[in-house]
Amino acid sequence: MSDAKMITLSDIPAKGGSPLTLAMGVFLAALATAPWWLPAVGLYQYLGIEVAIWLIFALGFNLLFGYIGLHSFGHGAYLGVGAYAFGLFQQEVAVSLWGGLVAAIAASLVAGALVASFISHRRGIYYALMTIAFGQIFWFCAIKLHSITGGEDGLLGIPRPDLNLGPISVSLADNTSLYWFVAVVLGLVALGLWRLANAPLGRVCQAIRQNEMRASFVGYNVWWIKWIAFTASAGIAGLAGGLFAMAQESAYPDVMALHQSGLIVMMVLVGGGLVSFWGPILGVILYFVARDVIGGITETWLLWFGLMFVIMVMVRPEGLAGVIHVIRTRIGMAPAARATHTKEA
Amino acid sequence: MALFEAKNLRKRFGARVVLENISLSVEEGSVHGIMGPNGAGKTTCFHVLTGHHAPDGGTITFDGQDITGKKPYQIARMGISRSFQIMNLFDDTVVIENVILALPEFRDSGLNPVKDVFGNKALVDKALSVLDQVGLSHRAWEKAEALPYGERRALEIAVALAPEPRIVFLDEPTSGLGTEATQALAKLIQELRSRYTIVLIEHDMRFLFQLADRISVIHWGQVVTENTPAKLQENKWVARSALGEVA
Amino acid sequence: MIQLIPHIINGLTLGLLFALIALGFTLIVGVMEVINLAHGAMFALGAYFAMTTIGGGWFAGTEFGTWWLSLPIGVRYAVGVVVGPLLAACAGMVLELCLRPTYGKAPLYGLLLTFGAGLVIEELIRHYWGTGEQSLTVPQSINGAFFMAGLIFSKYKFFAAAFAIVAIFGVWAFLEKTPYGAIIKAGAHDSEMVRALGYDLAKLRLLIFGFGAALAALAGIAMAPIWGLRPHLGIDVIIPAFLIIVIGGVGSFWGAVIAAVLVGLAVGITGAYAPAWSMLSMYLLLIAIVGFRSRGLMGRKSALEN
Repeated sequence: MSDAKMITLSDIPAKGGSPLTLAMGVFLAALATAPWWLPAVGLYQYLGIEVAIWLIFALGFNLLFGYIGLHSFGHGAYLGVGAYAFGLFQQEVAVSLWGGLVAAIAASLVAGALVASFISHRRGIYYALMTIAFGQIFWFCAIKLHSITGGEDGLLGIPRPDLNLGPISVSLADNTSLYWFVAVVLGLVALGLWRLANAPLGRVCQAIRQNEMRASFVGYNVWWIKWIAFTASAGIAGLAGGLFAMAQESAYPDVMALHQSGLIVMMVLVGGGLVSFWGPILGVILYFVARDVIGGITETWLLWFGLMFVIMVMVRPEGLAGVIHVIRTRIGMAPAARATHTKEA
Repeated sequence: MALFEAKNLRKRFGARVVLENISLSVEEGSVHGIMGPNGAGKTTCFHVLTGHHAPDGGTITFDGQDITGKKPYQIARMGISRSFQIMNLFDDTVVIENVILALPEFRDSGLNPVKDVFGNKALVDKALSVLDQVGLSHRAWEKAEALPYGERRALEIAVALAPEPRIVFLDEPTSGLGTEATQALAKLIQELRSRYTIVLIEHDMRFLFQLADRISVIHWGQVVTENTPAKLQENKWVARSALGEVA
Repeated sequence: MIQLIPHIINGLTLGLLFALIALGFTLIVGVMEVINLAHGAMFALGAYFAMTTIGGGWFAGTEFGTWWLSLPIGVRYAVGVVVGPLLAACAGMVLELCLRPTYGKAPLYGLLLTFGAGLVIEELIRHYWGTGEQSLTVPQSINGAFFMAGLIFSKYKFFAAAFAIVAIFGVWAFLEKTPYGAIIKAGAHDSEMVRALGYDLAKLRLLIFGFGAALAALAGIAMAPIWGLRPHLGIDVIIPAFLIIVIGGVGSFWGAVIAAVLVGLAVGITGAYAPAWSMLSMYLLLIAIVGFRSRGLMGRKSALEN
């Protein structure tokens, strides 16, 4: 058994200090140069926006899924709530970027907090089940509350408001400028979450994943921390949703369906969210590459992505990041965190 | 006044009464043993005393405060700590993090979202000194899961000691240990008794009699008798039923 | 009040069919502690297999195909009801083989793998049978409607309800009255016991998956004339099945049946007053029941809680 034992996030101990690691550098550099290399490799600007938005969603989701080990299968709902909140704010209150984003985050925080209050005393499969049920309720309401959400069609014609920073005002109507905005938000979210994951709160979240009972007996209010993690990750999903509504210029119930919630789980897992902070990023990129590249060759790309996922769960459920970790260990390049600590001690 | 006191505790699961009437009184600085046959309700008793289960009746007081029905984390924060019979560790992470997580300094800043964990020298040193007490400091940076059984038992105790509790509940610490390891553990508890108040559930009677100041014998969910080890050895019933098994 | 009767009958039929779906599901959860999210896909697959069998699509254009289509629909339907579940059982067994690497790991992995498998099967259906809505032909004798007490009733719904009741009691008798059932129940509580009794656990698991898939397929065939056939049928049906298991209590036979009938009635009766919201009622039922009884109506403690 010990040989087959899986790697987890906690296997790669926090190094502490600054988040300016090599991986973060590569990631930020890729973000900053995307408008130039995306067309060069035959892709298009809008894809960059889409991927960046899903990366925000996936990183926030992995705080819950990978770090604290709570398996939400209804997370698309909070993305959807954010998207609708953004759209309704533009259409009913005022055309404002900041207002819309605040509304998106606030609405999904409230929705997440409410659901978290119902489910935070649970774990395992029952937790997953309750998240599905709540996710379906949000999805159902989005379809049926026609007068507010526009039913199956959703909200159409949501404007892309200008970015106002004091006296400066920038139009985000074209995809390149919207990309820059989304990329900056993503960069900030990634830096923030990286710090959080390796700070005490992140370590305690991981402790709860490993042993909820022990965590409560050494003095942690497990219910409250689970509540915080769910609510925070719903809030980040809401932010992604607000940006999504802006990018799509619409908000529709599809993103809240079980399918979409399942897809985010698949992306995070395939990438290796259970093993590495960077796992979700690999997974999202892999998914969109599969969609656009395999999708360009055959219409059944989802079939191939699904098969790849099934095989991945069978042979290496730690995902892509797990594969990379194993290769690095084999060739003796694994992060030497433990060695440095021994010296310090 | 006793540091920790339980009065007339009752606990049932469905129709099954597990604790009928348990009263305990633990003096500060003493080692209090709990013994009894399998299924007598010893572990349930621990679970009730440390807040894992709320009792159906009776009261628990600690240092003059009523703690009946409080949650485990609240009880832990008051300075009551426990180990588990079935190992309960943070298995995916390194030994030292198991201890750091239990340090009050860490816990009280525990939700700080930006602070460093392993970069904090004071925390790491403190955790190492706790590990030193149980002889595990050389294993600090190894994965908890990878330790051999005996050392995992020691880590179980280290995690219980890390918060510098005023009272420690140890649930069958010798369970699964060989004679040598049991003797080492007895030595460790002898060292600890000067600093902590200890409540000990034990199967191994020799171990318990050599360490405890007072022992409560639990049977059928009740405290049958409570006395010093010397007095208990004179008690024919105890001698026959419990010590007889060991000898 | 009398207007409510057809809705109650609708609800009961729906509930009994849900029970049939949920039974295979709960059997697999109870014995193997695998949440089989591909169970809905088996349901859809069974119905599609039966449809193609009845319509002769496997051998269209051949001489055998012509002869086959000349047979009375009743015969072809009966064959479809047998062949559909058999083929689905094969698919179920393949799935079990794929699941083997996940045994001994957290239940999450079984759940994820079957979710992926469900997706793959759905895409395969889309690829082979197309994305459009299709229908499963049933014999004339159980089709159509009849009037009673001034109300209109669908004959097929009565047939489907009877079909489900027979199947449920068949499963019950199999589990309670045969030695196989005893082994399966032993496996549900203690896989060591099964091994100690000298049965091959691997074979038992394979058979259980096949059996579960066959039950799902049977339910799919019974449900198809009511719901129609579409590729995402699997996802549509797995959610109610899931909720039923949770409401009824994981691994409990009668818990699942009672919960299924409750859910069916809730959906049917809400349908009478607020048709648009009828499906929402089952989620509310779940939250209401599981909010108070954490293991559902008749659930036992399970490893899945960790």
